[in-house]
Amino acid sequence: MFDSIQFSSIGEFFSMGGYAFNVWTVYTLFVLFFAINLYFPLIRKKQILSEQKRRLIVNREMQTLKNDDGENS
Amino acid sequence: MVRPGEHDILLTSMHNLNSRQESAVQRANYMWMWFSKLGSPKWFYELSGKWLPWLVVAMSLLLVVGITWALLFVPPDYQQGNTIRIMYIHVPFASISLAFFPLMAVAGTITLVWRMKLADMVAKTAAPLGAWFTALALASGSIWGSDIWGTWWIWDGRLTSMLLQFFLLVGVISLRSALEDAEAAAKACAVLSIVGCINVFVIKYSVDWWNTLHQPSSGFSLSDQAPNPPEVWIPLVIMIFAIYLFFAVSLILSIRNEILVRERRSQWVEELVQGT
Repeated sequence: MFDSIQFSSIGEFFSMGGYAFNVWTVYTLFVLFFAINLYFPLIRKKQILSEQKRRLIVNREMQTLKNDDGENS
Repeated sequence: MVRPGEHDILLTSMHNLNSRQESAVQRANYMWMWFSKLGSPKWFYELSGKWLPWLVVAMSLLLVVGITWALLFVPPDYQQGNTIRIMYIHVPFASISLAFFPLMAVAGTITLVWRMKLADMVAKTAAPLGAWFTALALASGSIWGSDIWGTWWIWDGRLTSMLLQFFLLVGVISLRSALEDAEAAAKACAVLSIVGCINVFVIKYSVDWWNTLHQPSSGFSLSDQAPNPPEVWIPLVIMIFAIYLFFAVSLILSIRNEILVRERRSQWVEELVQGT
């Protein structure tokens, strides 16, 4: 299996037969794009959940305040 | 005139007809229930949560195999040398980017006709992802062409129609954010997506219609003598499947977020939020 590797050394692999810039730029773009498109939805989910949690807590506190007012008057 | 005895037969057959009609109605009801269940955000959220780990595992496996194969084992092209390795990124992204407008058009039609909530969420989240896919296809093609064609850009049929798709997608995104009324925005985007499908045919056939610098589709062959032997196209097929899975995973992640935002006042989301 390793016989069919097209490069004889690491240096040759990185130089890509003179096309290092083209090949590695495209693969770098791909990795960046891949990471961004998986990472951002996960960050966003955390953000949404914490926002909603805060909203629920505020709502509950408002409710108890209202109830207290009702008892006092 | 009904003779005695025949009466029973007549009744039985009438009964049969009725039960058959009833079962047809029942089947239609089941179909409708299944259909509306499919459109239920809660149902989708739960089902996609079960599917996601498997999709991610399959995607990672295919990506590792595909990229290793493409970078190390594919023989250099006799004309293009090692730039052939760019193909394993460029072709999957370019071909999958053509799926976005049809997807958004189907989702848009469902939104217009049945007003299914989930369909509009799909349409909304697909547009930015489609713009990303199209941009990466354009960028990788441009970097590939800069050496092989000797130019970064040329206004030929394939490249121009692809750039038009990018602008159309940006148009759909800005149209949605420009209209304040969410329902009106959904309808307008649905119509634009349906119209935008025309451009997909232009992109697809541009290499056949016009004499362009971009090569036409090469096709796959099992023969060793073919210009594209299996050792060249099998890793390409693996990469196409891998990127399709990546498309599915990132779309599902965004749809799930959209569900959490739009359904935030529903009981199940509140329970889910409290559980975190």
